[in-house]
Amino acid sequence: MKKVNYFLAALLGLSIQFASAQVKKGSVLIKNATVLTVTEGTLENSDVLVQDGIIKKVGHNLNAPNGVTTIDATGKYLMPGIIDAHSHLGLDVVNEATSPIVAEVRMKDVVNPYEVGIYRALAGGVTISHAMHGSANVIGGQNATLKHRWGSTDPADIIMQEAPRTIKFALGENPTRVHGRGNGIQPRTRMGVEAILRNGFNEAIQYKKAWTEYNAASSQKGSTAMAPVHNERLQILSDILDGKIIIHCHSYRADEIYMLINVARDFGITKLVFQHTNEGFKVAPEIAEYTMGASVFADWWAYKFEVYYSTAYNAAILTENGAITSINSDDAELIRHLYHEAAKTQRYGGMTDEQALSMITINPAKQLGIADKVGSIEEGKQGDLVIFEGHPLSSYAVPQMTFVDGVKYFDIKEDADDQRMKVSPTEMVEPVMVYGGHDSRCMQDTEHLFETTESLFLLNQ
Amino acid sequence: MKRLNKIFIAFLFALLPMMAMAQIDGEVIKPRPGKFLLQNATVVTITKGVLNNTSVLVEDGKIKEVGTNISADGAEVIDCSGKFIYPGMIDGGTKLGLVEVSSVQETVDYAEIGNFSPNMQALTAVNPNSVAIPVTRVSGVTTVLTYPSGGLFPGTAALINLNGYTPDQMYAGFKGIVMNFPSSGRRGRYDRRSDEDIKKANEKALKEANELWDKAKSYGALTEDGAELDYYPEMAQLAKATTGELPLLIEVNTAADIQAAIKWVEGKGAKVIFTGVSEGWRVADEIAKAGIPVVTGPIQALPTRESDRYDTPYANAGKMAKAGVKVAIRTDGQENVRNLPFFAAFAAAYGMGKEEAWKAVTINPAEIFGLGDQYGSVEAGKIANLIVADGDPFETKTNIMHVFIEGYRMPLSNRQIRLYQEFLERSPGLKVN
Amino acid sequence: MKKPLLYAGVFCIMVSGLFSYTSAQAQSDPTGKKPITDTYAITNATVFTSPGQAGVKATVLIKDGLIQGVGSNLTLPKETKTIAGDSLFIYPGFIAGASDVGITRPKDPDRPDDFVSSNPPDEIAGITPWRSAVDQFSIKDSKVDDLRKVGFTVAQITPDGGMIAGKTAIILLGSENSTNLLKENTALAANFRGSRGMYPGTAVGVMAKFREVYDNTKLTSERSQKYSTVAGLKRPEITPTYSAMQEVTSGQIPVMFTTSSELEIRRAINLQKEKGFKLVLTGLEEYEGVLDVIKASGAAVLVKLEIPDDKAIKAMKDDASEEVKALNARVKKAYDDAIAQASKLEEAGIPFAFSTVGVKSGDIMKALQKMIENSLSEEAALAALTTNPASILGLSKVAGSIEKGKMANLILSTDSLFAEDSQIKHVVVDGIIFDYETKPKKKASTGGNSDGSVKIDGNWEYTSESPAGSGTGVLAIQKDGTSYTGTITYDDPSGSGKATAPISNVVLDGSSLSFSFTVTANGMEILVNVTGEVSEGSYDATMSVGEFGSFPFNGTLTPTLIANK
Repeated sequence: MKKVNYFLAALLGLSIQFASAQVKKGSVLIKNATVLTVTEGTLENSDVLVQDGIIKKVGHNLNAPNGVTTIDATGKYLMPGIIDAHSHLGLDVVNEATSPIVAEVRMKDVVNPYEVGIYRALAGGVTISHAMHGSANVIGGQNATLKHRWGSTDPADIIMQEAPRTIKFALGENPTRVHGRGNGIQPRTRMGVEAILRNGFNEAIQYKKAWTEYNAASSQKGSTAMAPVHNERLQILSDILDGKIIIHCHSYRADEIYMLINVARDFGITKLVFQHTNEGFKVAPEIAEYTMGASVFADWWAYKFEVYYSTAYNAAILTENGAITSINSDDAELIRHLYHEAAKTQRYGGMTDEQALSMITINPAKQLGIADKVGSIEEGKQGDLVIFEGHPLSSYAVPQMTFVDGVKYFDIKEDADDQRMKVSPTEMVEPVMVYGGHDSRCMQDTEHLFETTESLFLLNQ
Repeated sequence: MKRLNKIFIAFLFALLPMMAMAQIDGEVIKPRPGKFLLQNATVVTITKGVLNNTSVLVEDGKIKEVGTNISADGAEVIDCSGKFIYPGMIDGGTKLGLVEVSSVQETVDYAEIGNFSPNMQALTAVNPNSVAIPVTRVSGVTTVLTYPSGGLFPGTAALINLNGYTPDQMYAGFKGIVMNFPSSGRRGRYDRRSDEDIKKANEKALKEANELWDKAKSYGALTEDGAELDYYPEMAQLAKATTGELPLLIEVNTAADIQAAIKWVEGKGAKVIFTGVSEGWRVADEIAKAGIPVVTGPIQALPTRESDRYDTPYANAGKMAKAGVKVAIRTDGQENVRNLPFFAAFAAAYGMGKEEAWKAVTINPAEIFGLGDQYGSVEAGKIANLIVADGDPFETKTNIMHVFIEGYRMPLSNRQIRLYQEFLERSPGLKVN
Repeated sequence: MKKPLLYAGVFCIMVSGLFSYTSAQAQSDPTGKKPITDTYAITNATVFTSPGQAGVKATVLIKDGLIQGVGSNLTLPKETKTIAGDSLFIYPGFIAGASDVGITRPKDPDRPDDFVSSNPPDEIAGITPWRSAVDQFSIKDSKVDDLRKVGFTVAQITPDGGMIAGKTAIILLGSENSTNLLKENTALAANFRGSRGMYPGTAVGVMAKFREVYDNTKLTSERSQKYSTVAGLKRPEITPTYSAMQEVTSGQIPVMFTTSSELEIRRAINLQKEKGFKLVLTGLEEYEGVLDVIKASGAAVLVKLEIPDDKAIKAMKDDASEEVKALNARVKKAYDDAIAQASKLEEAGIPFAFSTVGVKSGDIMKALQKMIENSLSEEAALAALTTNPASILGLSKVAGSIEKGKMANLILSTDSLFAEDSQIKHVVVDGIIFDYETKPKKKASTGGNSDGSVKIDGNWEYTSESPAGSGTGVLAIQKDGTSYTGTITYDDPSGSGKATAPISNVVLDGSSLSFSFTVTANGMEILVNVTGEVSEGSYDATMSVGEFGSFPFNGTLTPTLIANK
């Protein structure tokens, strides 16, 4: 019986979390700021008290309890920590590109807390990022939601352990290119992508049935039932069908978005967020009605054919149609100024301050299933905060300090320039990288699948 | 549905100026020349200060007059009270018009085969109908340098205005030969060559550059003396840089390479402009001392070294300007050259200051490209590249109300705006089964 | 340069340990190579019986491959051959916790016609738990003697392969005519390397696949159990993978994960906690930050017996700018920390041994001395080479110290073992005495040409590492007058199998060898430059592949060809 339980546990995905012994929690009182709560309006000249990592009080004339540091933010703006719903920071591996479905792989296995990009994101006010598997597979791996506790050496300490499970899907050019054209297996077309999805889910239903029957039979006395083969991949798909995992799907074209909505509806899946979603504006009513919305670029387009018919007004159209909309980076550079990316929705579609700020705070929090914990300045939420010089939606805004769980991880005035946590003992000259264009890593680790250097550089998104 | 309608109407109102210029139900609004009086604006001239309650008269493609009492006779009057007039912005380095969709090779026209192809003319390959051009100009960018890339001497760049139906109509009067200075840096995370390999490749490339340069110099000198040499278009073109007929745009980024490039150009007699210059801040004094102007960018970029402070790319332009370098800003962009004003804002916020940042996208590039008397400021006699805005064009909240390019009033529409108009409230909407 | 002691000066032997005299049966030997006795006494030497013990003057008596006695008043049998040990220091023979000595990677099987990269057969995907290091091992490999020369007498050899490479075995670095096998199937060698162009291709896929293999092995065991006790059941599918994995899931043998970095160490320990197998961490290079994690896991630790090269440190200049000085200081600190790491293990009370996988034998003593200079105690160093590995490998009863009844595995040195000028004069393995030159070192001449230049012509088997996986092939170099020509085979990037290309620009300058070749992939030509150092038939080089970067490239001159020359 013990063994059966062990397997039940494993099969239910209840793999034991070897979490972090101690995640640092801090206390701080920030006074006299213009507080952009996002969900409860703007509070002029207000104070926010964080104790042991949690926002205890938002109000006026608050006093610092014993031993709690006070920061005077007169003339400055305070907003919730920015949340990036699409990132590949802090991952040693991004793509297990070798099969159209790799639901069994876990980005949590390869989190790398040493990547200096995490600090740089903090310097742009980003406290949480969604470290995603790449987009080479129709059903990719399970993502990790990271809290940017810079300086931690244990990967478990930067994983937001209380965040729900999410998984990467991808439609369109990337999976059809990698598998169909690269390896000569399905899918080579958007028809094939749908077939892979439906096949996978139907197999998962059979798989679950086999195990349910086995478990029922084996609990009978003198059972002679034989356990089916364990298949983690199908188990995860089964968990998706059971609503235990939120899908985050790389997608561009309206037709493929619509296809996945139909597949999801057929299989009773409601936890679905679209990523990139450049043509989401064309099916905004459907996205609003049937999904948890879309996470989009502010203005990226034309880097590949399926994003040629894009518009920077995408976020505004989605928002006006009632879809939960977030602005993401998918990029180690862009993540450094998501506040500015959100501000672009004011030029392209006239979003209000609150709408624009929601797109990098509470909306991505909703899409990651953590809106009850982060994404706004409210009492009881986690103390993830950013102090800005200038309104964060101004092009001249400069982040000053960033807090995660009440602990200050970025301070523009005090931080050392060199933030590397690890230095190679054998590297003579630090490599000087002259970056051309974007540093997106959606297709990282798929290099060997492509023939030429050029195609590799062009396949970045 | 009702709420949506209300929002939509509120929106339409907010966007009225833009909508007015946009395509409505099949009617196509074209760029339109004419005599325009932009009345009672705050004019940010860049070179002559900020003028309140001032009008600007546009006629025959030029700024005819800037003043307070200009006759409206025969002119279409545009009330600009409460609005701001700026010169059109100039992006000192892009691939705009040379590429439509990056991953579709058939639409990529900026990189020709060959390491030595200075005779490749970017202007030839500029697609005046690129969808990205109207997308760019509604942001107030009216002029861009568009350049080829790849190899040691990839070709000849050209400055273009973002209006016109042929490349010649777009040509704005500046060409320069592009040189990629042999780099000791890495090109990105995929570039994992060893230090030794990089050094070797660098030395080899430098040797090759020297040989080519000397040959071109001889070619130019002999031709000048009347020699009839064999047809050699590459040499003939590079010779123009050796004589100073065409400026040399040297793409150079790492500190060590910048120093090497400063040494390299010494005594060559070329008119030199440095481009890229990501690590210019490390050697800003030396660049200033050499008197070489710089086109730098992208500003929103990652630091070149892991150990560098996170904001070095934001602060780079300002640090060079403070050291006395004449700095222009570029996006290095293709489809998103529209972000030039925001790049300038970042440079401004991280040490450059707004005034200097404005110069870096107007008069400085104009002067660097030898066109300071025609572009880059709101002054009588200059080409009428102007923008009218309801605020600071570097801010995303600001609406750009009008854009004039060579005196043409540009329609403020593009495919992205038309998609917005069509899909904001799609019909049919959600079809419920 | 070494020869069995008794025949010194008679036979100059190129290949080590040709003699087997373990046979109980008396027989004639027309070759004259058979020793006349297998009983020796090393008299009046300074003996260090185990780590922490002071040296005492004593005589060590060896017979039947065993230590028959240690002391000052031993009665020596009549057949004893005596060796004067007055100036010698005797230590227990070293034991390598993990080693690739004598291991040759087996050829990859051909891909089947119906090969699907998303679901490859286990054997092609690097999942070969049934393979044994024994089958990949040759005692005749010249590297065996290289390792023995620095004092190693026993090694746990690890198979070369993919993510689950196979079973390790414990062997003696002894006679060429013995199997030298002490124990087979001692651990399962695993690592986080993916397979080239197929599932699982990366570390994240490897971890998922490992879990799957592990879980299904357990299920298969349960099914088999049921099948053997209850009638009327469907036959359970038993695969070679599941069969060979059962020793792991049942806890009989540990998984030996190669984990060079802190993050890899954590990954292996996470898998251990999740699945509950016994764990050995091997090949550790960077671990100072995870000492507490290692300690808590209870995993055995095999540190890579190597220190980082100091090229970067040596290249630092005093006249650097302040900025560069600050950066240099960080590199220096990283270096100092790296060489002091082993002492931190000692401080933390974690018993550890060493792995020599990927380590050049010639550098081992220097690495040990460097570690000792940086706070590792000599006692801990010796323990890491003797008693600790004996305990980790379950050999404590038979090896690891100099005691009566243990295997006669000894090091006889000219001075205190870790002293800078100390040289190893004899190594005793299993009672056989191997004799080494102790004269002032001169440049190794093995494989040298008569004109003093290094010999490079012949067939080199090489392995190369890149993000796309590891590749293997043959580099064939021919001497053509004063210049060299040749060909190279490599894994065809556009499909399966091998492709061949001519090599060019072959330049041999002293011991540094460089050459180029062109890889053609779907019409694109990529120039590959290889540069490195040749030393004693091994080629330690770097391969730069266009803009993709530089990667390790290591070759070995095939021994058969040495013999032919």
